This record gives sequence, C-alpha cells and structure tokens, in this order.
Amino acid sequence: MATLSFPSSRSLAKMSLPSHWRALWAVARREWLIFIRYPSWIIQMLIWPIIFPLMYIFTGRALAGPDASGLQHFMQVSGASEFNGYVILGTTIWMWQNVVLWNVGFALREEQWRGTLESNWMTPTWRFAYLLGSSFPQVASMGMFLGITALEAGLIFGVRLNGNPWLMLLVLAACIPAIYGLGFAFASVVISVKEANTFVFLVRGLVMIFCGVSFPLSMLPGWMRGIAFWLPQTHMIDAMRQAALSNASLSQLAPSLNILLAFGAFWLAAGYILFQWMERQARKTGAIGQY
Amino acid sequence: MPTWAIEAENLVKKFPKRASANDAAQEGAQAAKPTRRLAWPFRRKEGPSWSTAVDGVSLKIKQGEIFGLLGPNGAGKSTTIRMLCTLLEPTSGTARVNGYDIRQQATQVRQSLGTVLAGERSIYWKLTGRENLEYFAALYHIPPPLARQRIKELLEHMELTERANDLVEKYSTGMKQRIALSKALLARPPILLLDEPTLGLDPQAARKVREIVAQLKAEGHTILLTTHYMEEADQLSDRIGIIDQGKIIALDTPEALKQRIDQQEVVRMEISGWHQELAASLQRLPNTANLVTRNLGSDSLYEVSLQTANSRAVLPGIIQTVNQNGTHLVNMNIVRPSLEDVFINLTGKALRD
Repeated sequence: MATLSFPSSRSLAKMSLPSHWRALWAVARREWLIFIRYPSWIIQMLIWPIIFPLMYIFTGRALAGPDASGLQHFMQVSGASEFNGYVILGTTIWMWQNVVLWNVGFALREEQWRGTLESNWMTPTWRFAYLLGSSFPQVASMGMFLGITALEAGLIFGVRLNGNPWLMLLVLAACIPAIYGLGFAFASVVISVKEANTFVFLVRGLVMIFCGVSFPLSMLPGWMRGIAFWLPQTHMIDAMRQAALSNASLSQLAPSLNILLAFGAFWLAAGYILFQWMERQARKTGAIGQY
Repeated sequence: MPTWAIEAENLVKKFPKRASANDAAQEGAQAAKPTRRLAWPFRRKEGPSWSTAVDGVSLKIKQGEIFGLLGPNGAGKSTTIRMLCTLLEPTSGTARVNGYDIRQQATQVRQSLGTVLAGERSIYWKLTGRENLEYFAALYHIPPPLARQRIKELLEHMELTERANDLVEKYSTGMKQRIALSKALLARPPILLLDEPTLGLDPQAARKVREIVAQLKAEGHTILLTTHYMEEADQLSDRIGIIDQGKIIALDTPEALKQRIDQQEVVRMEISGWHQELAASLQRLPNTANLVTRNLGSDSLYEVSLQTANSRAVLPGIIQTVNQNGTHLVNMNIVRPSLEDVFINLTGKALRD
C-alpha cells in the first residue's frame, strides 16, 4: 500500500469566496450528473407538455359545441386570442411549480434517504449551498422543458406565440424567485416533518383552482379572487399569457413583474429563514440522520 | 497546539420521545422519567418525556492515538460521535475537537475532522469514485490542482485507480468503504471519526480496512473508532472506552481492561440439547460467574461462556452437569478473557445482546 504524501495537518484549509462558489458549483454538477444518469427524464420531458393540457383542450372542444360558439364565448370572457395557447401556458406554469415542489422540495429529503445528507452536513461548506446548488440543474432542466413545450405546442396544437421572446424570457426570469423560494421553504419543512405529499397536493390543488390554470379568474366568486391575488402563480400565468399571446409591452407587463418580484423576495426570504430554523432544530433533534 | 485531540466533558444528549423514534431504535436509549409541569391554572398538562442517549460522557483522546469506543448497538456510540462532529447539539456538557469548541466553533471543528459515518451509504452511488472525491474536495474547499493530486494519490493508496471511473453502484461493499475513507482523508484532517468502519464487510474487506486504519495512525492521525466488534477494538485501539446505556463504564488500554476482571479464564462450550434449567444448574456451580448463552442456529445447539478463576477446579463439575438428561458437550475451550468478557463482567450481558 502506497504511503500518502499528505499524512495529516493541523492547519485548516482556507475558505474564500471563490472556494464557496466552487462548492456551490460542485453541488450543481453532482445533481446534474445524477439527473442525467436516470434516462427516464427524457420520456417525461417529451410527454408531459402534451398529456396534461390535452384533458382541458378536449373538455373545451366538447363544451364549445358543433359551431364552436362556446369557444367564442370563452375568448370573449377571457380576452384570449386562442384557446389552446391559453390552456397550455396555464398548465405549463402549474407543472413548473409542481415539479419544483417535488424536486427542490424533496432535494434534502432525498439526500437523507440516500444516506448522504450527513456526509454533506459534516463538511465546512455553507449549508444553504446544498439546496441552492441542487436547484441550478432543476432550472436548466425546466428551461429544456419549457423549450420542448413551446415546440410541441406549435407542432401539435398549432399554438403561435406572437409576443416578444425577450419579454417572455423576462417574465420567466421574474417567476423564478417565487417558484424556487417556495421550493426552498418546502425543502426545509420536509426535513422536519418527514412527510410532504399532503402539502404538495394542497399547494398544487390551490394553484389549480385559484390561479386560473384553464379558465379566466372572472369565473371565480369574489372571495376566491381575493385569495387568488395572494398566490404568485396567478400573476405568473397572467403575465405569461400577456407576454406570449397578447404581445404586451414592457410597460403593460410592469405591474405583474413588480408583483412577481415582490412575491419572489418574500418567498426567497421565507425559504432561507425556514432553512436556518430547520438547521437549528435538526442539531437538537438529530433530524439530519433520521430516515 | 492543544494537548488533547478530543476533550469531552460530561456530554449529555436527550431526545424528546416523539422525535427520537429512530434514535431509540438505533441507540436503545433508556427512558428518563416523564416530567409533569403546570401548564394552566385549571389543569395539569403532561410534559414531554425524554430518552437519554448519552448520559454524562467524559473522555480525553491524545494526539496520534486510536481510541476505541466499544459498546453494543444502542449504547450511545453514534450519538457521542455525532455530537463531536457537530451534527448534534449536546443537551449539556462541552467538548473540544482539535482545540475548537463544538458549539462555538463548529466550522473549524468540521474542518479538523474526517468522518466515516454510515459507511458505504455516505457516498453517491450514481457518481464514479473519482467524481465522488472531486465533489467532496470542493466541499472541503481544497483548491482544484491540489484536489486532483490528492485524489490521484488516494485512489492509488486505496488500490482503486483502475475502477476510479466506474459508477460506485458497481463497486463491492469494501470498495465503497474505501472511497468513503478516501473522502474522509481528502482534507488531510488531523482527526478521523470512524463509525463502525467494518460493519457489513466480508472478512477480507474488513481486514483491509483495519490495515488502512493502522497505517493512518502510523501517518499521524488521531482516530476515534466506534465498533461493536471486540476483536477489532482490541486489535486496533491504544485505549478503549466501554460504553453502555449512554455511560462510559470503563476506560483503559485493552490489556489493562482484561486484567481488571477477577476471573482469569473463560470456559467456552458448545452444548447440544440445551435447555434453560441447565443455565440455573451451571450458575449454581461454585467459583463460576457471568454465564452467557448464544444460540448457534439450530434449536438446541448453544454456545455457552462461563467465567472462572480456576478452570481446572471447576471442569469436572461442569462436565458432570452438562452431560445428563439428553444434553451433551460438543466442544469446549479454555480461553483468556476477551474484551467481550470484560463487558460481560461489567454489565452482566453480552455485547451482541
């Protein structure tokens, strides 16, 4: 057995901003490598953009009647220029939030199941980096998912996104803090309570009903519209429809973007605070090592 | 430079009963008395009850020694080690690792330690051996050129160079354990905490890990090793702390521990046709103590150990007691006391109980 040229040292490794960035990047790279080594993601990415909106599209066609007069009424009420695009944008935002809740929300829990959370926790790295870093590949894979959705929506459903592509990207970027902040908050709670299915179903159910995934908010009773305002996904869906289907300008999008950024700041702060709370609790209860 | 690599003083860890379900299973923690407190003037509310996993552990580990923490499953070994590596906050008590306080200087403590907890499960099976080491090198803030050099050396040291680019899921358990050990050595920490490093390994792989541990000591590392394999603790450790029900019940060199017990010999027998009444008969024999039995797989074949100060004097009585009513002696040895016998002598039960 060869002898190591670095047997042991009492001096501690120097930690700097670049070394923290390298650690964050290492977490992202690890997560990406693990992600691509389960090839079933390719199938999911191809079929979900079609399957999920289909049920609303067929329901819409059935309700429209033989002369499609129902569809005309829907367009009037919703202000949409086309039905398929309207539904697909709603379901895509819903799927994005849903996937983030499952993936980012369960990022730490999955580490716990694997048995690797403790070995990460025992390194001197800033612990929030494990959550933040693991969300980077998720953002990348969701970017691919959104691209595939746009492509399939055009090819299969004939949806034409007539908005400014840069403004559409700006809206997507403005959605990221709120969607991922909620994911971080979720991940921290999941470590403490060990179970999250109920919460995921609750959140995505709320988004489904209150945020106008497949229908205009004017259909909701007044008190439900009040609740809808406080859900960031309502504004995400609305802003995306304005940007992609109604060719809205930056000034027209500005109110929605401001609201989204405010929600983003709130949820990122909530996610970080909950993470710190979870970390302190875990040191007391031993939750990190529990399966 | 601190005199002691690790100093723990009166460490206590209690878990609320609800939260400790898993720990109780792992640690077999003993229950403390439930407390009652007045919650509201009109009613009494039941307060939380606690299980005590570690109950006042104090120890000092010298620079460069291998310290073995020996005890049965659930004795408090893992909880102690998790407090020392800052995963758990002690309920009370203090500890310093490499001179750093585990409560106030947690980051420096983690920088001073290389740890192998949960063995093969502590690394990523969907990454290659090399990718695992690159990942953990970044988490330990090792500059990339230095990390590459250390990874190369560690892979050679652990004889894993040829398999370095294979996914860990294709490794044997022993190879996974060697990657876990390499991970612990990446930052060349002065202190290593190894929690059951040979658990689940085949004898050959376990021997290899023990060789590595001995070499790491020779290279200057201080090692805190927890195990419930007495031979391993005996073979590797300079000093041993025996822990049971959260308390250190003996602490000394392996030889000194074995010399402590009055009974200098152990009669080990394999008895066919064993029945419980025979245990009572053997325990009544004069000049014997600490009878321990273990089923050897079949219904009535048992291994039986009995401690005695003078085996020659008691053997005729033992043989006469055993060889009657359908039971008979299959095998018998007179051996020197092992650490397990020390444990039996201290607690009245076997390590594996």
